[in-house]
This record gives sequence, structure tokens and C-alpha cells, in this order.
Amino acid sequence: MENVLSILFCLSLFYVVVTSRVKAYVTVLRFQGIILSVLLVIPFIYNFSIFGIILPATLLLVKVFLIPGYINKVILDLDIKRRIEPPIQQMIFLPLVIATMIIVFLASSILSKITELDVIPFASGFSAIIIGIYLIIFRRKLIIHVCGFLILENGIFLFGTAVASELPMMIELGTLLDIFVVVFLMGIALNRIRGTFAGFEATHLGRLKD
Amino acid sequence: MNDLADPGYSLFIVAFAIQLLAIVFLSIRNERTALFSSSIVLVIGLILGLISTFSSALFSSVEIPGRTFFSNWIRLDGLSIYFIFIIQLVAIPTTVSGISYLNHYIDQKRSVKSFFIFYIILLISTQFVVIANQTIFFLVSWEVMSMSAYLAMILEREKEEVQRGSFYYFAASHVLIFILYIMFFLLHHQTGSWYFSDYHLSFSSGIVVPLIFILSLIGFGIKAGFIPFHFWLPQAHPIAPTVLSAFLSGVIIKMGIYGIFRTFLFLKPVPEWCGWLLLIVGMISAIFGVWYALAQHDIKRLLAYHSVENIGIIGIGIGIGFIGSANNLSSVQVLGFGGALLHTLNHAIFKSLLFIGSGVIYRNLGIRNIELMGGLIHRAKYIALFFLAGSVAISGIPPFNGFISEFIVYTGFFKTANELKNYYPILMLMFVVGLAFVGGLAVGCFTKVNSVIFLGSERREVKRFHSSIYDYVSLGFLSLLCILIGFYPQPFVGVVNKVISSGFLNGNSSSALINIDWHYFTLIFSSLAIGIILLYLLKLKLEKKYGRRTSAAWGCGYENLTPRMQYSASSFADELNTIPKTILVYQKEVEISDSPYPVSSGFESHSKDFVDYKIVLPLFNFLRSLAARIGFLSQTDIRYYIAFILIIISIYGLIAFLWV
Repeated sequence: MENVLSILFCLSLFYVVVTSRVKAYVTVLRFQGIILSVLLVIPFIYNFSIFGIILPATLLLVKVFLIPGYINKVILDLDIKRRIEPPIQQMIFLPLVIATMIIVFLASSILSKITELDVIPFASGFSAIIIGIYLIIFRRKLIIHVCGFLILENGIFLFGTAVASELPMMIELGTLLDIFVVVFLMGIALNRIRGTFAGFEATHLGRLKD
Repeated sequence: MNDLADPGYSLFIVAFAIQLLAIVFLSIRNERTALFSSSIVLVIGLILGLISTFSSALFSSVEIPGRTFFSNWIRLDGLSIYFIFIIQLVAIPTTVSGISYLNHYIDQKRSVKSFFIFYIILLISTQFVVIANQTIFFLVSWEVMSMSAYLAMILEREKEEVQRGSFYYFAASHVLIFILYIMFFLLHHQTGSWYFSDYHLSFSSGIVVPLIFILSLIGFGIKAGFIPFHFWLPQAHPIAPTVLSAFLSGVIIKMGIYGIFRTFLFLKPVPEWCGWLLLIVGMISAIFGVWYALAQHDIKRLLAYHSVENIGIIGIGIGIGFIGSANNLSSVQVLGFGGALLHTLNHAIFKSLLFIGSGVIYRNLGIRNIELMGGLIHRAKYIALFFLAGSVAISGIPPFNGFISEFIVYTGFFKTANELKNYYPILMLMFVVGLAFVGGLAVGCFTKVNSVIFLGSERREVKRFHSSIYDYVSLGFLSLLCILIGFYPQPFVGVVNKVISSGFLNGNSSSALINIDWHYFTLIFSSLAIGIILLYLLKLKLEKKYGRRTSAAWGCGYENLTPRMQYSASSFADELNTIPKTILVYQKEVEISDSPYPVSSGFESHSKDFVDYKIVLPLFNFLRSLAARIGFLSQTDIRYYIAFILIIISIYGLIAFLWV
């Protein structure tokens, strides 16, 4: 079951790479949030406890409703263009991502012989981290940078579940709070930037250099 | 903690507490009142510290025990007490002179409170440096000392020269502390202890101990200002407020000397090449320090170069001591180290005297270029007198204190030649000639300074020359010390001898230092002084009888003399400066016409520091061009940085992966 969900997670990454609609990123974030919540619920299906359900519920709330909703609001409020003009050809970006994923999966399977880990969730999480960074590097829009950062965070989450069977709950909650604050700050920062610069692209920020 | 029961040491701690208390008084709103009360409290603290130092074993007949306090973090042995004595002794007059000097900044509507806070921190951390027994405590105190000096230095931070000079200081301090870190970690690695009292290494084995020695020489040498590490000193000392530059030049650079002594105590006995190294470095510093000084027109810059010279003389003394240590000759060791230690004290006294004197002049004239001064003796008779006393002392002329310490160094040379026959006499003779040459150049330099500043007529009109009681007190106190050590050196020589016998020697103690017939010096100098006083009285009497005839100076046949037609400092020093033209980077601009009619003509000379101009600056320009070559990495877009991070992480990951 976990493997199936992880592969679904990977497929969502492919979608994020080829799409050029800003809305689609938010949809993918919601989708990944659902997958992660379900992943966390699975261990508690057979021995139900009320404490075990707190974390998945919070995750669902933050990652599926609050953050994507907030990003949608920012997009509407600031009237950001709904399409992106990728500086890199999709035909190049997609093979790059596929190559990265192949390397990551191969490396994970080699690593699994040395230490104990679930190959597919581990590799999926790792791929999400790298693809999140790719998105930040190859996309110009600041709002997409935020999405890339959130995908990176999702990857870390998945990665964490694959490495340690059960992270302490406080840490996970802390991470969630962290992300929420970061996204919130981003909203404020973008609002500020609108007053200073014409667009919302990272290239404009070069003018801030001293 | 039963150490605190000892009245001497509890006084010591009370002294520190009172010095710290001085900061509280700066919270008074009125700047003048705050400065005055804070200075007074600070001086009281310093005097208490001095009393506790006097009551310590250093000034009595018993052995110095080398006691430790606060779980071994603080240790008071002979060397520590001696240096803390120097710090407190010099800090008192500089603080007193600060009351009048800093008031002149307050007149300019400039707040000096921040300066004074850092000055107090500087004083206290400097005292911590010399009593620290724990490596980390030492390094932290050292860094606090360096940085508080830097922060106090930038009082006039809007001036470009201040920014430039303080940056030199900042960079040199950074390099220095880095070298000291390496040195002390090596020491820790070798001994497995963090305490100074456990560091005992011998040179016999391996490369690590010589490395430690070289590192200490470079690290502490940067602080002390040995050539070629002196380049920051003439840049940084002139730009600091005079109170600070007096303390910097008088005491802070001596911390480098303290460090070298301390390292010697870790590593003794040292092999002979260490002694030769220090002798040569010291001799080069002495000769070129004074020669550079001769080529300067900026009074404080000139004095800074004289610090290099005197540090060189101290280095020569240490070098002789090292040679004695290598050959197991207590008498040579005592004379070499004794000369160095006494000269450290003497230089601290007369250099702060000269700096405070130059500060009084700068405060009134607003210039540091001696070519624009002149005739000040008619304005400030006593300041001129005190400055003359300092000049005579620094030139090593009897009967002042500079002569006594240089005399010990000379005796050390002859003792070395005498004890180690072989080829030593001829080498020592060369050093004797070198040191005599340094003394001659110093006399030349201070003849120039005194005659150009104080004699003649005013080159630029001085509206008002004001010197306060604080100037007289601090300058008088220091001049008195100069004379006292010159006339009656026995107690000071005894103290120095005691410091050396508490841990410096590897054999029996030697009485070579004490056995010099010091009472003859007192006798000769006293009769000389009495003779001069009698002649002066005779002059007064004759003047009363026949009257005093005053007339203008002979004008070499010219009429209508103006103050500009005086012998200038540049032309005075020109002959001597032309000899080492390349090393002084000495440039002359002479403008003389062949016309028989008097037309305008000019002469100007400039000197740049060889190390700064030919080595340090080119090195940094090279580094800058290297940095410009990888400038493409400095992008405006954050995405590039993330890409760089990703690339680096992948490379690391690959390496880690292959490693597994």
C-alpha cells in the first residue's frame, strides 16, 4: 500500500514538471497532501488510537486546505498571471527529471543493501526533494518557487517516513508549523514586492543586490 | 577560595571591580561630568591595582611563588605581575591626560562615551591577558583587547584615513588571532592540557615544537610590530585618538613581547638559532624603524615608527637571552632578558609621554604635520620641556631611563662575546655597532622633531595654545619616572632580575645584572645634574648683572626673513634618507630654477612603507584580481545560488556514495 501511494506521489511530480498552469501546482500540492495524510493513517487502521489520528488530521488541514487555499488567495489577490513561460524547454526538463529519478532509484536500491530502508518511499521522497530544487532553479515566478519549496518539504516528509518508521510527533508538528509560517511570510513578502517591482519574477530581485 | 583571605590579592580583585565600576559612571547625562567622574574612578581602580602589585612579592625580598586562583584560570607569576605593573603604571597618566584630551572632542559636539567604554574594556582585558593561565580565557581576553581597541579607534569614523588605518589594524588582528589559535591548539595537542602552567615542551624532538616557536614569533610579532609585520602599526596608531594611541604604542604592542616571553617559558631552553633569528629580526626592526621615522612628517606616524625601533631593541635583548639559554649561560640570559624587560617598561613610559605630548599639540593646532609647526616653546614652555625629556630618553641618552636598558643590552653583547669565545666577539661587535647606529639615528630624528616643532618661529599662526593641569600631571609623572629610572635604576633592575630568576633560567641564578655598579651611575648623573643646575644658576646671576641681549637670528645675508625661510624637517633628514632610498621608497620633488632672480622654488620629500607598498598592497591587489576572476559566480539571481548548492551537494553525495 505504501509503495502504491509513493508511486502515485512520483507521478504527481511528473505532472508538475510538464504543466504550465499555476493552478495545477496548487492542485498537485493538495493531491500530495492527501497522499501523505493517508500514508500516516495506514499504521493506525488496525490499532486505532485518538492520539495517532491527530497528526494526519493536522497534516490534512494544513497541507490540503490551509496552504493551497492561501496560495490560491495570494494568486487571486495579487492578480498573478495564470500561465508560466518556462525558460527551459519541457522536452529538456522532462528527460532531466526522468534521468534524476532513475539515478535516485538506482542509488536507493544499492543503499538498501547496506542499511534497512523502504526503497520506493525513500526514492520517491528523495526525487521530490531534488525536483523541488529544480523547480526553484528553472522557474522564474516567485509563486512557483514557493510551490517548489513545498514539494521539497513533502519530499522530506516522505523521506522521513521511509527512514525512520515513526518520527516523534512533536517533530512532525514542528515541521508543519514551520512550513505554515514560511508560506505566510511569503505571502507578506509578495505583497511587499508588488509595491516595489512590476512583476513577480526572481530576475527582478537582482536589483536588490548591493 | 582561601586565597582571597590574603589582603594583597583581595585588593587586586577590588581594583578590578572598581575599574569596571567606572563604566557605570558614564551613564551620567552630562558628557563632561560623566567623563570626569568615570576617569577618576578608573584612576582610583588603577592606583589600587598598583598598590596591590607593589605589595606583591615582586617588590619584596621573597621568591615569587607563582600562585594560581579560580581553579587554575588565573596565575600570578613574576612575568604576569611585571606586565600588569607596566599596564597599570602607564594607564594612569594616559587616563588622566584623557580628561583634557577628550574634552576637546566634546567641544566639537562629539560623544566620547562609547570611546570611553571601550577604553575601559581595553584596560581590563589587557590586564586579563597577562594574568590568564587558561588558553581559551587567554585567547578570549586577547580578542576582546584587540576588538575593543578597534572599536575605540574609530571615534572619528567619518574620516577616510581613520577608516583606512583602522582596517589595517582590524585585518592584522584577525590574521594574528588565527595564527595564535593554531599555535595554542598545537600546544594543547602536544601536552593535552589547556593550562599554561602545564605547557613544558623541549625542542629535542620533532618539527612541531619549532613550528610552535615560529608561529608564536609571527603571531605575537604582528602585535609587537617587528619588521616585516609592522605595516599596520604606522597606519593604525596615528589615526587613533591620542589617549588610545599612547596606550596602544605604550602597552598593547608590549603584549606581543609578553607573548614571546610566555612562549619561551613553555619551550625553554631554546636552541641557538631562535636567538639569532630574534637578533636579526630585532636589528632590522631597530635600524629601519628609526630610518622610516626619520622620513616621516606626521608626528604620530613618526612616533609609531619609533615604536618599531624600540620593539627591535627589545627583540635584540630577547635574542641575547635566547643565546644564553641555548648555551646554558645564566649571566648572558640575565643581561639579555633584563635589558629587554627593562626596555619594555622604559619604552612604555617614554612612548606614552611622547604620544600624550603630541596629543596636546594636535589638540591645539589641529594638525599632525610637523612641517607646519614651529616656535611652540614660546607658547608652552613646560610641554616642550616634558617632550624634550621623552625625546632624550627614547634616544638612549644618559641620564634618562632609555640609556639604562640599552646599556644592559650592550653589556649583554659584551658578556656573550666574553663567555662564548670563538667567532662570537666579531659577530657581537657587529651588533654593537648596529645598535649604536640606531641610537645615532634616533638622536638625529628627535633633534629634527624637537627643533622643528618647538624652536624657530611659528610657520603657521597659532591662535591660542591651551594646556590644562591634567596634561601637566600626566606628562610630569611620566617625565619623573624617566628621570627616576635613569638616576636610580637599582630597584627596577632588582625587580627585573627577580622576574628572570623566577622561571626563566635553566641553571643557577646569576647576579650579573645586579652586580653592575649601578651606584656609580647615580653618582655620575647626580654630579652632572648638580653641575648643570649650578651653571644655570650662574647664568641667571650673570643675566641679572649684565642683562639679557636679544636679537633676531642671523639671516645668512637675506633680509626680510619670514617664518617660511626656516630649515625644514624634510631638508634636515634628506641626507640620511637618501642612503636607503629603495627601502624607504623615498621620493623627492626638487624645484630649483637657474635664474639669477629669486623665483619660487620648492622641495618636498615623501616616503612610503616598503612592506606595505611593495608586498602587502600588491598581494591584496592580486587577491582582488583573483576574486574578480570568479566574479561570475556572484549572480544577482538567487536561483543560481540554489543551482550551485545542488551541484555541490551532488558532488559530495557522489563522493560519499563511492566511499560506501
